[in-house]
Amino acid sequence: MIEFKAVTKRYSNGAIGLQDASFTIQKGEFVFVVGPSGSGKSTLLKLILHEEVPTEGEVYVNGFSIHNMRRSEIPYLRRGLGVVFQDFRLLPNKTVYDNVAFAMQIVEAQPKEIRRHVPVALALVGLSKKAKVYPDQLSGGEQQRVSLARALVNNPSILLADEPTGNLDPAISREIMYLLDEINQRGTTVIVATHEKSIVDDMEKRVISLDYGRIVHDVQKGNYTNEA
Amino acid sequence: MFKRGIIQMKLRTIKYMVREGFSNTYKNLLMTLASLTMVISSLLIFGVFLMVTVILSFNLRQMEKQIAEIVIWLEKDIAPLEADDIELRLKNDVRVLECNRITKEQAFAELNEALEDPSLLEGYTPEFLSESFRLRLKDVNQIAEFADEAADITGVEDIDFPKDFLERLALILKWINAGSMFILALLLIISVSIISNTIKLTVYARRKEIGIMKYIGANDWFIRWPFIIEGIIIGLVGSVISFVITSYLYNALESYVSSEAVVSGMSLIRMVPLKDIGGQILFVYIIIGVVMGVVGSIISVRKHLNV
Repeated sequence: MIEFKAVTKRYSNGAIGLQDASFTIQKGEFVFVVGPSGSGKSTLLKLILHEEVPTEGEVYVNGFSIHNMRRSEIPYLRRGLGVVFQDFRLLPNKTVYDNVAFAMQIVEAQPKEIRRHVPVALALVGLSKKAKVYPDQLSGGEQQRVSLARALVNNPSILLADEPTGNLDPAISREIMYLLDEINQRGTTVIVATHEKSIVDDMEKRVISLDYGRIVHDVQKGNYTNEA
Repeated sequence: MFKRGIIQMKLRTIKYMVREGFSNTYKNLLMTLASLTMVISSLLIFGVFLMVTVILSFNLRQMEKQIAEIVIWLEKDIAPLEADDIELRLKNDVRVLECNRITKEQAFAELNEALEDPSLLEGYTPEFLSESFRLRLKDVNQIAEFADEAADITGVEDIDFPKDFLERLALILKWINAGSMFILALLLIISVSIISNTIKLTVYARRKEIGIMKYIGANDWFIRWPFIIEGIIIGLVGSVISFVITSYLYNALESYVSSEAVVSGMSLIRMVPLKDIGGQILFVYIIIGVVMGVVGSIISVRKHLNV
């Protein structure tokens, strides 16, 4: 499903994003990518999204070769991926419903399908009652749930979350994580980049630890430090 | 599967884009007005220049027409029947607009009138003059060719037309045309860059939205089209408004010129009636306006698509 083969990413300013990283993520896995700021977590996610391309090595995602891909293919790669960001990235001039429906309009879904799937996605994140509200009237946790609903509405096989709880307080963070776990239970591969130790230790999932762009640990049912 | 581009868009997607384009135009009213002002002022500058060129070359062409007279002199002792033949031949030529035969008597009378002292012609009869034809052609540009041909007709003695003057006029017209094309093209490029800068502001304001669309998996055309439609709307509205302003100004100028003509009894400038060129001007405005809008949009969005 996702495969990194000896991947190195050097940015044009010389900074190392990722160095000689190799790993495989199977369908249905839940993986934390952890490490301090600048350790390469974001680079790893950006490579999966084809926001960046590897300097060396090969990256395969859902059958797409990220290292060797036509520009016109990028939208199709991304349609198989759901993404959630730390800053939610909702469209402020659209309602909650429209923000989620928007993701389906982009992939030219039938209006009938849109009307059927959007409420389901909103129900899944527990926001059915806020469908007609605009994002700025919601709390941070609620906004992140909207962005989750948007990421899920097209039924992606992989869900990427880049510091999804970075702007949220611990209780709300936990809620979001349980939601991600639930989504994973339904068969979606979930990859979460975070540096929140308590959450990672709590969930007992596979943990890939990065430091200075290198994979230092890759442990099933691991914790943040993997020293225990 | 990846080839699905502009052509194969689904109808509802097109509807979505048109709706998006309209609602964006309305939602970003301030930016729309800024772009609109740019379109209108560019078109007005463009239009004034176009008008000046059109009126100038129209007047030069009128002048050309007035001057472009060919005089065909017949041999002095030509038989009247032969002269009739030549007249028939000239009058039947498709290139000829009008052809007047000047008999010896008419020529003598004209000469008599031209000379201030009639005694100079005393003792002469019209017989010492030649008969001639005065012609105008439908197309002034054919005059040299026509004159060459006419010179070969038997019974024709000589051909006279203002060759140097017409050549010079043609050259001037050519330069005016080339120069105005150049300046109009320049104006167009400047306008497009101004407008694309204005649209860039609207795109910049919406770059987050574009980024989100890219992450969700929108392809480039899906993102581009609403902006293009916005550009088309601005271009269309701008060109119609510019046209209204232009025709108002033109009519004002026209009535001023014709009132001058009434007072002074003559007019140096002749205006082309608006109804003759209005359609073309509107057409040119719309084309330019829409091209400015569309090109401006495409240029402005391009940078933000590389995510």
